[in-house]
Amino acid sequence: MLLLIFVYLSIFAFIFMSLAKAITFAKMPMHGRWELYPVPKEGKGRGEYGGSYMEEVEWWKKPREISHAGELKEMLKEMLFIKNLFENQRPLWWISYSLHLGIYILFAWAFLLLVGAITELSGLPIVTEAGVNSNGWASLVYYATFLTGVIGALLVALGSAGLFFRRMTLESMKKYTTPQDYFNLLFIFAVAFTGILVWISDPGFNYGRDIMKSLLTFSPIEANGILAIHIILLGILLAYIPQSKMSHYVGKYFTFHKVLWENEPNLPGSEIEKKVEEAKKFKPSRNWSAPHFQPAEKQSKE
Amino acid sequence: MFDNKKIKPQDIGNSSDEQLVKLKQEELMDLPAPYDKPEMEPELTEPKDEWKEEYCTLLDGYVGIDTLTRPKTKEEEEDLVKKFLNGLEKAFSDETNRNYIQPLLLSFEYCAKCNTCSDACHVYQASGKNELYRPIFRSEVFRRLAKQHLEKKEGFWKKFIGADIDLDWRTVARLGELAYRCNLCRRCAQTCPLGLDNGLLAREIRKIFSQELGIAPKPLHEKGTMLQLKTGSSTGITKPALLDMIEFIEEEIEDRTGKQIKIPVDKKGADILLTHNAGEFMSWPENPAAFAIIFEEAGLDWTLSSDMIGYDNVNYGLFYDDAQAKKIALEQFKAAKRLGVNRIVIGECGHAHKAAAVSANRMVSGEDNIPVESFLPLLRDLVVNKKLKLDPSKNDFPVTLHDPCNVVRMMGIVKPQRDILKAIAPQFREMTPNGVRNFCCGGGSGFAIMNYMNFPEWRNKVSSRMKFKQVLEAFKDTADKPDIPKYICAPCSNCKGAMRDILEYYEATEKFNIHYGGLVELVVNALADLEEPFIDFDEAL
Repeated sequence: MLLLIFVYLSIFAFIFMSLAKAITFAKMPMHGRWELYPVPKEGKGRGEYGGSYMEEVEWWKKPREISHAGELKEMLKEMLFIKNLFENQRPLWWISYSLHLGIYILFAWAFLLLVGAITELSGLPIVTEAGVNSNGWASLVYYATFLTGVIGALLVALGSAGLFFRRMTLESMKKYTTPQDYFNLLFIFAVAFTGILVWISDPGFNYGRDIMKSLLTFSPIEANGILAIHIILLGILLAYIPQSKMSHYVGKYFTFHKVLWENEPNLPGSEIEKKVEEAKKFKPSRNWSAPHFQPAEKQSKE
Repeated sequence: MFDNKKIKPQDIGNSSDEQLVKLKQEELMDLPAPYDKPEMEPELTEPKDEWKEEYCTLLDGYVGIDTLTRPKTKEEEEDLVKKFLNGLEKAFSDETNRNYIQPLLLSFEYCAKCNTCSDACHVYQASGKNELYRPIFRSEVFRRLAKQHLEKKEGFWKKFIGADIDLDWRTVARLGELAYRCNLCRRCAQTCPLGLDNGLLAREIRKIFSQELGIAPKPLHEKGTMLQLKTGSSTGITKPALLDMIEFIEEEIEDRTGKQIKIPVDKKGADILLTHNAGEFMSWPENPAAFAIIFEEAGLDWTLSSDMIGYDNVNYGLFYDDAQAKKIALEQFKAAKRLGVNRIVIGECGHAHKAAAVSANRMVSGEDNIPVESFLPLLRDLVVNKKLKLDPSKNDFPVTLHDPCNVVRMMGIVKPQRDILKAIAPQFREMTPNGVRNFCCGGGSGFAIMNYMNFPEWRNKVSSRMKFKQVLEAFKDTADKPDIPKYICAPCSNCKGAMRDILEYYEATEKFNIHYGGLVELVVNALADLEEPFIDFDEAL
């Protein structure tokens, strides 16, 4: 039962701490404009070459054309393929993308485990005593789970180990890497590796569906040996990620959407104008200490 | 002295008076022909002993901050460190750094140190990949120092998070200097898979030095923003001097073109307030002259301002100090408001574009919020819609375009200048890369005006080197033909300053007939009714 509670807690920790991080960033005061072109949401094809609405005479009198498709396209390229790394540092991209693609595939795998668990709870076993259920849906779920699980875990293990060794051996990376950076990669590798060990003894991932069933029915998770270690490591990793810089899935949203691609002009009556007026009312309780921050009379005495 | 390739972030905390790295000619990025022989460029020099004694040459031997003097006593040393730590803490407070806390924390927390940014940095590349100038070197020093002093971890945990840089006055001084080895061009941020920004971090370090320690290069602060707030212009030009200069420009226009133009000054209710970098009046009066010719020829309802700060669109605060940036921007809006104009049009000054149209956009509201635009779309419309009678054959010489970072990368104005050049310059050719992927001129973020001690050498040898390479490549078809004049169109005062210096330093005008200038001069040069060329290449030689 303790293990069940632990798994629940770690999933909640991951979700809520990630959300809390996002809320912390979202609540920060409006910053000065710090956009960087190309801004893909710029309409009239400008997103492609880096142009903006400021290329027009008296831009404030003209309707703003925003290409949501352009923004979505660029966002998906970055999210799904890590485009910037692909274009600018291909050797590292292979390794990094292996890790990230592996994680995406493992999310699909977890979902398929959930689907499998629900299927079994509804009375259709995925695996029978004779082997994989010949029912079309059951075998589809089985093999899809099998493929995503194996491929995902191998990619994650390969990616995390690859990044670890690249950092250790490449002088230009090594000197900037902290012990925590190595620890993070090793931690991910340990989870993937123990997962692979568990899979070797249970190639159909039946243990995964059993855990999902326990989570759905609030019944104790039965696990010992390497499976217990794997579950505990994965649980701690889930809770740790949002507290580390591995939570860049949160940060990346803000760096692109709220900083680099945020070029909303301050027009009369706009939301931005309201925020500007609100910001003007803020009075800090302390200030910077350089002479030019001091009242004029103090400056003149100095 | 460390090996230029092997130096580590921790070495910045070196407690001896050792200079960390030393530039070597043979390590610098190669230049293309005709500069592919070492004797074609001046040799690197040693810092003078008196500079070593007075300033901080402990980084790379160059003095980037002429107000960062060596502490004389133990107390002064401790004071420097204490003030730095106070500033560090204020940079990370949403009370004292409200306008930048979100982008700062994002760039601070998430760097994966993948080094994707390194290839994008012209300083790192031009230096021959000197580790000190790798974009994340500075960021990582800053990150480790901040972690150590803000998170207050001890023992194992301190080592675990990488808080391992020793801090004494030398560390602080070297970091301050290192903040002035980045042009803040933000090209690195374009390539970051996580959208992080080493330029922003360099600027935050500059802010700590200026806003808390009161340390900033004199041309930016004392003779820059402070002088501008006091006299109206960072050039020191006062209202009477400005009016004299305008009169001189009117005479020059008549002499050169035969056109009698009365430049409108302080015309209430005009449609456009045109603002120039006041440096133009002093160094390149042909630029405001060309604007006047074009605006009058096109029949625009425009004016200049002779009001405090209204005649100088410079805002060096953008480079190093938020408070100074805001004070100047607000004064510029006030000048426009007093004249009752409909819009402010920014002339050929890149950082003024960003300062007034982008950064200051969130500093004003209500009636103070006068719309700001670049001169480029306006000029494009005049040229493309044939409001000016132009004869492009008058510009039949090789022309290339330098894109000021603040106009393209920070503002997204890319196409208008190209539409203009395609219409007026038959031999226009692009640099590679260009547009939003351009390289900085090397004078960005204040470097163009920091002309003291050996800093110009660093600028010409390192930060402007990539631009010089691009220029040579753009003109490679005529590089060995000194009889053909070649024109670098650089529509930005600071970029022009940097161009002037590299062409002088490498004697490229004298030897290869390479010139620089603005865009409006080229437009005026193409005016069909001018009898004599407006651009005089012989004058520059």
